[in-house]
Amino acid sequence: MKLYEYETYDTIFKKYGVPVPKYLVIQHPGQNVSDFVEQCGEAVIKSQVLVGKRGKAGAVKFAKTGDEANEHVKALMETEVYGEKPVSVIIQEKASILKELYVSFTYSSKPRCPVFVISLEGGIGIEEQDPSKIFTFEINPLEGLFPYKIREYLIEIGFDDKAILRQLSEIIANMYKGFWNSESRLLEVNPLIMAGDKTNPEKQKILAIDAVTIIDDDARIAPSKIYIARGAMGRPLTKREAAAHLIDRDDHRGKAGSYVELDGDIGMMTFGGGGSTIIVETVFALGLKPANLTDIGGNPPAEKMNKISKIILSKPGLKAVLVCGGTASNTRIDVTLGEGLVSAIEEMKKDGIFPEGLVWVVRRSGPEYQKGLKMLYECFVKNGIRGVIYNSELPLTEAPQKLYEILKSKNML
Amino acid sequence: MRGTKYLNDKTRVIVIGITGREASQVVIESEKLYPGIVKCGVTPGKGGTVLKEDCPIPVFDTVKDALKVNKLKQLVNTGLIYVPPTSVLDAVYELIDNGIKLMYVITEHVPIRDSIIIYELAREKGVTIIGGTSLGCFVPSIGRIGAIGGKDPSVAFKDGSLVVLSKSGGLTVTTSEMFKRRGFGIYMALAVGGDVIACTTFADVLPELEKDKNVQACVIMGEPGGVYEEQVAELIAKGGYTKPLAVFVAGVFQEMMPEGVAFGHAGAIVERGMGKATDKIKMLEEVGKKTGTIKVAKFYHELVNSLVSLGVKRDFGDSYTDSVKPLYNTLD
Repeated sequence: MKLYEYETYDTIFKKYGVPVPKYLVIQHPGQNVSDFVEQCGEAVIKSQVLVGKRGKAGAVKFAKTGDEANEHVKALMETEVYGEKPVSVIIQEKASILKELYVSFTYSSKPRCPVFVISLEGGIGIEEQDPSKIFTFEINPLEGLFPYKIREYLIEIGFDDKAILRQLSEIIANMYKGFWNSESRLLEVNPLIMAGDKTNPEKQKILAIDAVTIIDDDARIAPSKIYIARGAMGRPLTKREAAAHLIDRDDHRGKAGSYVELDGDIGMMTFGGGGSTIIVETVFALGLKPANLTDIGGNPPAEKMNKISKIILSKPGLKAVLVCGGTASNTRIDVTLGEGLVSAIEEMKKDGIFPEGLVWVVRRSGPEYQKGLKMLYECFVKNGIRGVIYNSELPLTEAPQKLYEILKSKNML
Repeated sequence: MRGTKYLNDKTRVIVIGITGREASQVVIESEKLYPGIVKCGVTPGKGGTVLKEDCPIPVFDTVKDALKVNKLKQLVNTGLIYVPPTSVLDAVYELIDNGIKLMYVITEHVPIRDSIIIYELAREKGVTIIGGTSLGCFVPSIGRIGAIGGKDPSVAFKDGSLVVLSKSGGLTVTTSEMFKRRGFGIYMALAVGGDVIACTTFADVLPELEKDKNVQACVIMGEPGGVYEEQVAELIAKGGYTKPLAVFVAGVFQEMMPEGVAFGHAGAIVERGMGKATDKIKMLEEVGKKTGTIKVAKFYHELVNSLVSLGVKRDFGDSYTDSVKPLYNTLD
C-alpha cells in the first residue's frame, strides 16, 4: 500500500527521528492556515495524492500570506492531479535549500537483500539522473545499518561537508530503521535537503521535504488496518469491483474476489495467478478486449463462485465469455463450475437478467473435471447457451484462439 | 542416489503445520500415491497424536521432539512448511536449529521482510530453501513434495528427461501436461514460487541440471518482477548452463496497464522499470542469439515447438492433433 506524504511524516518520520519542516494537514481553508503562514513566513502547499510528479502537475504552490495560502488550499482541494482527487493538502514551512540529496531504501532481488540508494545530486528529475551519480549499497538484514557505515559510504561517494557528516549519517540510519520497522517495500526521500538555519546562519539543518512509502501488503500488521482505504487504480472502485471485494472478506476458503474492470467486451473467468496472466495476454495479443480480469484459485466454495460468476456476467455490453484455467491440483471443477457457475446462470435466467446471445468458450481440467464439465454442458443445453467446452487436451492458451475463430466465423469481431 | 538435490530416493520429510486443512489433505493424498516420503509432522499442542487413523503419521509438539526419535533423526532430512504467513520465519528457524538443510515454504504471502531474513539465514548457514509460494516438487521416478498434480498426477506427469521450472505453481502442472501430450516426459518439475524475494531462483537450480546426466533440457515459466530471468541469461552467457532452454515470460500485457495494478502473484507487480517482461525477453533472446541454446516462446502454447526447434528429442510418441475436438459443442 502506497502512503500519502503526510502519513509517512505522521507514522514513520516522527516515530523514528527523521526531521521534516513544520507542517499542517488540512482539508478546508481557515484561520489555522493563516496563523500557520504568519508564524513561518513563507509556506509550501502540496496536494495529498498518491500519484507522483506533483510539481509538474501544478499541485505544489507557494504562499507568503494567510489569504494567499487559503486560496491555494481551496483551489488544490478542488483540483484533480492526473485524475486523482486529493484527500487533503499539506502546508509546510518553506526551507532555504542549500543542497538536495536523494535517499531511498528498498529490497533488491539481485543480491536478495535491502539496499541503500543515494545520490548527492537529488531533486526533480532524479529519474533522468546520470546512473553513475546514483550509488547503491547492500545491507545485511541481520546486522542492520549503523551510522558509521553510512559515513564510510558518504565519504566514499565524495560527500565533503564534514560539519554535517555525523548528523546526516544518523538521520539516514533513522530512515532505515523506519523502513525496516514499518515493513516498507520502499521508503524514498527526494529531496533530503541541507537547509540554512534562520536563527543561526553558521548552522545547517537536514530536512526531508517529501516522502514516498510503499508498505508491504503482506506485512505482519496489514497496512489496511492502520491506514485509510484507497483505490488501487487511481480511480474509485466500480460497483461490481466493490461487490467482488466483499466475496473473500469474511471467508478465507479459496480466492474468488480479485476482479478488476476494463472497457472491453469479453467476460473473463480465469483461474490461477500465472494461468490468468497468460490467458489474458493471449486475449490481448489476438486483438480481443477483456471486460475484466479475474484470478480465481485455492478451491473456492460454490457460493463464492456463484457470486463472482454473477458479477462477471452482469457487466453490460459483453459479447462472449471465456472460462479458462489450467489443470488444477486442488480446485474442484464440479464445485466451481458444475455448482457455482451453473447456479449463477440458472438464477440469473430466473430473474430475467442473464445476458443472452453470448458465445462461450470453456477450457478447464483438474479434480472431478469430467463431472463438472458435463454439468456445465447440461446447463448450456437446458438454457440454450451457445458454446464449446474443452478439457486439457487443448493447450491452455489456444482457448482464446478458439474464441477468436468462432467470433470471426460468426462476424462478431 | 536417484533423483535431484531437491527430491531423491533419500528424501524423508517433516511437515510443519501438518494438521492444518491444506497440509493434512495434501499429506494424506501424497502418502496414498507415494508412501513413505512423509515421516512425521509438527503441530504445537497436538504432540503424541497421529495425523489420521488410516494415515498414522506421528505428530509432535516441536521439531526437537520429533528428532529425539532415533529412527526419525536418522531419516528426516527435508522440511515442508505449511504454517500461516507470519509463522513461516519461526518455522524456518526451528528447522535450521534442528539441523535440517533443505526445506520448502508452501505458504503464500510471506511478509517480504521475513523472506529477506530467511534468505540471508539460508545463505549464511548453507541451507537450501524453496519458496515462499512454492507448490512443491515432482520427480516422477521418485514421488512428490507438496500438492503438485493433485489426486491424479499421471494426467500431467510421465517419467522423462525434461525439467520444468516455474514461478507459478498452477502452470508447473499445466506446462508439464502440455509437454507430456507432445511426447516429452518430466525428470523434475519444481515450483520455485513467484515471490519478489525467492530463496531458490532459476539460476540457482540450472547448475544442478547442468551436471545431471538425466536432464536433456529445461523449460522455464517466468513472470515480471525481480531479476531472476535476467540472471538466467547472465548464467548462460557465462557458460554456467549449456543445455537447451525454452522460456516463456508471462505478463507482457501488464506493461500496458495503469501503474499499480496488482494482478496474479505478489511478485508479478511491475516495479519501477525493473524486471519488466519485455526486458527479460530481450536479454534472454540476446544471449540465445550467441549460444543457440535459448528459445523464447511468443505464445505459451508455442513452448513445445520452441523446445523442438532447439533439437531436443522426444521421450515418447507425440499425441498431438491439429484439430482438438471439444468435449461438448452447443454452438450450432
